[in-house]
Amino acid sequence: MTLVQSASAEAPAREAWDEWTDRNAGRLMVLPAVIILLCFAIFPLIVSVYLSVCRFALAAGGFKLTFIGLYNYKRLLVGTQQYHFLGTMKPLETSEWIALGVYAAVVLYLLGRYVMTRFTVLGMIGRLISTALATGIVLVALATMPKGAYEGTLLTTVFYVLVGVAAQFAIGLGLALLCAQPIVGRDFFRVIFFIPLMVTPVGVAYMFRMLADMQKGPFAPLGAALGLGVWSWATQAWSARLMVLVGDTWQWTPFMFIVLLAAVENQPRDQLEAARLDGASGFQIFRDITWPAIAPIAATVVLIRLIEAFKIVDIPNVLTAGGPGLATESLTLHSFIAWRTQDLGGSAAIGYLLLFVSTITCVSFFNYVVRWTRRHQ
Amino acid sequence: MRVRLENIHKSFGPVEVVKGLDLEVGDGEFLVLLGASGSGKTTALRMIAGLEKVTSGRIRIGDRDVTDVLPKYRDVAMVFQSYALYPHMTVFANIAYPLTVRGRTKAEVEAAVKDVVRQVQLEMLLDRYPRQLSGGQRQRVALARAMIRRPAAFLMDEPLSNLDAKLRGYMRAELKHMQHKLGITTIYVTHDQIEAMTLAHRVALIEKGVLQQLDEPANIYNAPANLFVAGFIGSPPMNFFEGDLAEGRFSAPAGSFDTKKRVTRREAVAGVRPEDCKLTEPGSGKIVGEVYATELIGDHALVTCRVDGGTVTVKADKAFDRQDGAAIGVNFADAAIHLFDKASGERIA
Amino acid sequence: MSAKTESRGLVRRLFEAPSLEEMAPAPKIATYVVLGLWTLVVLFPLYWVLVTSFKFEVEVDSGPYYIPFVDFKPTLDAWNFMLLQNNTIGPYLNSVVVALSSTVLALLIGSLAAYALVRIRFQVKIAAILTFLALLVAVIVAVAAFAVPWPVAAAVAIALFLIALSTYVRRFKAAAGNNDIEFWMISNRIMPPIVAVLPIYVMFQHLRLLDTQIALISTYTGVNLPIVVWLTRDFFAGIPLDLEESAEIDGASKFRVFFTIALPLVRSGIAATFMLVLILSWNEFLLALFLTEAKAQTMPVLVAAQNTTRGPQWWYMSVLIVIMIAPVIVIAAFLQKHIARGLLVGAVKG
Repeated sequence: MTLVQSASAEAPAREAWDEWTDRNAGRLMVLPAVIILLCFAIFPLIVSVYLSVCRFALAAGGFKLTFIGLYNYKRLLVGTQQYHFLGTMKPLETSEWIALGVYAAVVLYLLGRYVMTRFTVLGMIGRLISTALATGIVLVALATMPKGAYEGTLLTTVFYVLVGVAAQFAIGLGLALLCAQPIVGRDFFRVIFFIPLMVTPVGVAYMFRMLADMQKGPFAPLGAALGLGVWSWATQAWSARLMVLVGDTWQWTPFMFIVLLAAVENQPRDQLEAARLDGASGFQIFRDITWPAIAPIAATVVLIRLIEAFKIVDIPNVLTAGGPGLATESLTLHSFIAWRTQDLGGSAAIGYLLLFVSTITCVSFFNYVVRWTRRHQ
Repeated sequence: MRVRLENIHKSFGPVEVVKGLDLEVGDGEFLVLLGASGSGKTTALRMIAGLEKVTSGRIRIGDRDVTDVLPKYRDVAMVFQSYALYPHMTVFANIAYPLTVRGRTKAEVEAAVKDVVRQVQLEMLLDRYPRQLSGGQRQRVALARAMIRRPAAFLMDEPLSNLDAKLRGYMRAELKHMQHKLGITTIYVTHDQIEAMTLAHRVALIEKGVLQQLDEPANIYNAPANLFVAGFIGSPPMNFFEGDLAEGRFSAPAGSFDTKKRVTRREAVAGVRPEDCKLTEPGSGKIVGEVYATELIGDHALVTCRVDGGTVTVKADKAFDRQDGAAIGVNFADAAIHLFDKASGERIA
Repeated sequence: MSAKTESRGLVRRLFEAPSLEEMAPAPKIATYVVLGLWTLVVLFPLYWVLVTSFKFEVEVDSGPYYIPFVDFKPTLDAWNFMLLQNNTIGPYLNSVVVALSSTVLALLIGSLAAYALVRIRFQVKIAAILTFLALLVAVIVAVAAFAVPWPVAAAVAIALFLIALSTYVRRFKAAAGNNDIEFWMISNRIMPPIVAVLPIYVMFQHLRLLDTQIALISTYTGVNLPIVVWLTRDFFAGIPLDLEESAEIDGASKFRVFFTIALPLVRSGIAATFMLVLILSWNEFLLALFLTEAKAQTMPVLVAAQNTTRGPQWWYMSVLIVIMIAPVIVIAAFLQKHIARGLLVGAVKG
């Protein structure tokens, strides 16, 4: 008797619980993700702001944080750490003034055109922010060009991002177009070309250090034949940077390749065939059919790579340890080195400046390029 | 079980798609919701299933108010236009799904599936996947999945419209037989009037979210409640003449004739179905005109005649062979005339 | 004259495609040459690593030797040392456990969220979000600057938040919808890990979880969650709604619909996402460097640590790289087509 009763009392309770979870299923499904992101994104972001306005010092039984306002940022932008972050700057010379003039003309033309055609207040604010960042970077870049001036970690990172992503995109697209041709062994190339993406970046860095060893590496005889026996790429700023780029490009071209190949293979068949029957050349087909079809996807993969490229650290860290001097040091590596020297506030400030630069760049790219390609579909 | 809708309203944002629907479906009845696309009939069905929330009004199944009850507790089964078979499950798993999610034992499930597949003749296909089945077989799997639970009501959303014409006719008969045998209340949505006429105990004709007429198929055909129903039911559609009604005599540009109703109404509409019209010599018909086009359908011919103020379609003998442009008369019995008020569209009783 | 037409005919035969389905000989050869060259670019570094792992120290130091058995006599010395004497198995197992668990977790949590965001309408009051953020900042400042014990601060904040929800938050209309929530989740990927790693380090230090697998697993889950949401949302959006509605009427709860209908239907997309996230976690270096020391060390950290004061020990390092790459290549070779398709869907709509 009691057994029956308890069972009947339990059933409605279970049903009520079932019904409650079902009615709140949406929230319950999203909740874990929100909690995880709060713990590993929002909470750290806020704490980092706090760290970046503090001086960190080890103290008895732990550490001490002293509030010092924007000092950490000031140091990086105009103070003692300026050489590290922005670089050692010199007054502009004639050629740099000319370059600056050209840049200013282009920017003013673009802004002017925007104002004349489809002006909105919010759009204008966005464009001004993007312009401000671009102008800042261009100015710093020009000021570090004269003799005796050196680039800082900001410019090195921007260099990796711009040149690296462009190279990866160009090679990836080229390979994808070739691989989409009716040739034997497509699947073979596809699998082979995909491999570098799976190698740990640390491994990539060591691999290229081994390969680039001009005394004992596989290309040593070639170097000797060319009379480069004693030359080492690691001692020159630009050759070292190039080496980092080579490693990064080797690793990330597959990502571009694989998505672009899928996009190229996915383009409308009938249009292609019609164009071939009409006698269009290969280039015309690419320009008029393939490119418009894959442009939105191309823009999106570039955006993804932009987001990831700003975080570059493993390869320069292992390949060159940031050297020679500061030549190959990326922002993340800079921040990491600051952290190692117990300068936690400075480290957080660099991290924040990186977040600032990469967010503005990526959002700008999304608004001006990705959206634009989608509109033109 | 009975299903009742009480003053149901449904809006999507500013658009009201169902406007005060009142409907009662009797136990074991086969009710067809008939209407054009966008009439609100599917929305009404989805509200009964619980897939859409009602904006206002109540829904009852049996004696229970289910207005705010989750779909799974409403004890209804639904057959979708796409059949909604789970592509990653075998036919057996598909049919058994309503029972397995309710935690029935394996033996129970197997017995129930066995029983239901015998009724729809799917015994040989239990291990197949939906993609390996023909359209008719998929349809039967969907039916079996709905039947297995013996729900309080079946809800069907255009279940036959994805089949080819031949199979559709066969499945229609099958469906009617099955529903009769099971005696489960069925609400069936379609835009196809032949399905509605052949399947339904009663038809509810809906337009713009408003119930136009709810009656047995024969009554809907014989005594359409308003101009919309008259024009919607019947193929080819009813011929309409606009004119004045004076003491039962109807005068239109095409001709004038007496009706059985002794009423006077300015601005009236008279309607005659093509199958109630007869072609006669020009002098002897109620209406005169000339042959505009002749289409041979098979066992009959459709003759479109041009008359003053429009056209009249007549279902004629297949032997009809008058030249286009020839003068002709159209005649019909007094009892075949349907009269409507032009302004309100209502039938003149 | 005749020679001229002859040469024109030859050029024509070389450059004109015989049919729409085939390529002309000259471009075809050029294509194979380029693809072959890139194959070399991809494979040679890997070959060199593989070969180096079979070398003695002397053979590495005394200049390049290219082909085993011809140039030098291969040895299993480095393999022997790394696998049997050195503690490689520990970090390897750590890597396997961390990568697999965090990938499964990220996929589970991320796809649940993505599914809900695709299928269920959300309205989150902006006022509630702002209140929450303000309270979070207040808690952090209170704990960090005024040494308030964190459980106390958190309890007070939660209480205040609940009060806020039932009072003034109700009055504000402005709300964030599904797209806003989705954008927020995905945009978290922009954040460089270096910004987040210090607070995460401090957090795990407080929880006494530094140098544990749990710390790495949960961090990787958080870092990879945006990718999972971004990719899987489009797979779910592609499922016909009928199927889920039918299951719901058949008596399944929303969770049951997710696990028995939606998830199995997008399994190829899930496989692609799984592979991608697995690769990312398997290879991750920076966070592992911060959050682990000896006990929970993963392979990338171990590889990096081979750079001793005597210079890098290439032969040992090569063994590590080879055993790290091998399993991923095998899995990826099978899933490669899925990955492409999965990324494509995401890229088209993302």
